[in-house]
Amino acid sequence: MPSLILQFKDTEHGEFPLSTGSSITIGRRETNTIVIDNLAVSGNHAKVDCLDDGYLLTDLKSKNGTFVNGKIVSSHWLQKGDVISIGKHSLIFKLAEGEAPPPAHDMTEETMVLDTEEYRAMLDRSTPNMPAQSEKAERMGVLSFVKGGEGEYELKKKLVKIGKDDSNDVVVGGLMVAKTAATISKRPTGYYLNFVEGMSKPKVNGKAVKDSVLLKEFDTIEIGSLRMEFIIKE
Amino acid sequence: MIEIESAGLTDVGQKREGNEDAFFVDEKQQIFVVADGMGGHLAGEVASGIVVDTFGRFARGEDDCTEFAVPDDALSAEATRLVSCIRKANHEVFTKSRSDENCRGMGSTVAAIHSTGDTIIAANVGDSPIYFVRDGDIELISVMHTVAAEQAAIDPERLKLLPEKFLHMLSRAIGVSEDVQADVCETQCFKGDSFLLCSDGLSNLVAPNEMADIVSNNSAEEACRKFVDMANERGGDDNITVIVLRVKEVGSRKGTFRRFVMRLLGL
Repeated sequence: MPSLILQFKDTEHGEFPLSTGSSITIGRRETNTIVIDNLAVSGNHAKVDCLDDGYLLTDLKSKNGTFVNGKIVSSHWLQKGDVISIGKHSLIFKLAEGEAPPPAHDMTEETMVLDTEEYRAMLDRSTPNMPAQSEKAERMGVLSFVKGGEGEYELKKKLVKIGKDDSNDVVVGGLMVAKTAATISKRPTGYYLNFVEGMSKPKVNGKAVKDSVLLKEFDTIEIGSLRMEFIIKE
Repeated sequence: MIEIESAGLTDVGQKREGNEDAFFVDEKQQIFVVADGMGGHLAGEVASGIVVDTFGRFARGEDDCTEFAVPDDALSAEATRLVSCIRKANHEVFTKSRSDENCRGMGSTVAAIHSTGDTIIAANVGDSPIYFVRDGDIELISVMHTVAAEQAAIDPERLKLLPEKFLHMLSRAIGVSEDVQADVCETQCFKGDSFLLCSDGLSNLVAPNEMADIVSNNSAEEACRKFVDMANERGGDDNITVIVLRVKEVGSRKGTFRRFVMRLLGL
């Protein structure tokens, strides 16, 4: 019969057998099978159901979470050598000598939508020293005018149109320039300069663009009388 | 206007009893949508069905979804319209899941492409990817709204800390809350460019380089057939849905020279 060995700071504090058909509860309250008297442990913290096809650990919506091998779990089928962490205590899942391991369970679940609150709470617990997602700086491409314009144009739009017509985001003069000569599209992989139409093609670093090219920082772009530098800002 | 050749196909796969995916193709209005529903007991089917029906009414001009339009400086007017249709679909699914006991908790992904003039707008919510294929290269132009992708974007190390169950979770979906934010990509397209929209029943089993290969070397219809067969041969764990589109002609490029000469001559 497998058992759970309770440890605190390398010292064993008891062994609890897991007999099939029983349920073991873990918590601070005296009513639990395994009582851990520590404020980091919830009154009813977790349980292990000893079923015919394995040993299922379930976190009972505890305040500080139940971890298995360093990862937070809501439920988990115990496997040989698993270490459950609850507060500063550990419970080691141990098989008796020569005992066959419990069957593997496929934990892949169907696609589910995240409970945002649960997710945030989980992240706070398992990655406390990492910045929150919102703190990640958004990078933005900027066109800095070298010739034919002044200042900068921030590439805020998903698709920026450049050409002779006033309806464009960046207007450029020149006989050879088409109504809309080029566009810059923001894709997940970066900013792309695209040729649209006209007799003269836009140039990036002096090279004519016949369809589309990924812009790199400090690339020089020429369209008609316009010369710009592509810059990335945090 | 650009000319597009397209095909779409859906298949239940090898393991699931029902098909919770849905797709919508309108070559005339150039609207293409894949929706992957979720929520047990037929509710997933209901959710993805509502999504494609909303796009159907939108394409036919029966519902312009203007009440759901939110002005956004980053988007063109056409992209704003497409996003308003996604928000409308979200509202419809959300309302249904609130009012019908059997549909509680249902949701869907959406991957949509709409073309206007010589540009393509791709918008998505969830994990149904939109790929862009040009000259044999493939690029993901949608944003994966999964916990795994979002965490990896911050720091790949974080993935190791995540419990298994979160890796399969969507961080955004249609119909789970009152409003939803779609990610949008708007880009120029050229003759010969191809786009692929699919459910994860395909993208989990077929790698992007294989997709690029099949899309580049087959007609849209043949490619869809091959994709479904390939996913089924590899286990068909989930429903499989795919739309392939190919740009046959870009209108604005035609007659450019003539227009230029006419302008020179002052005609």
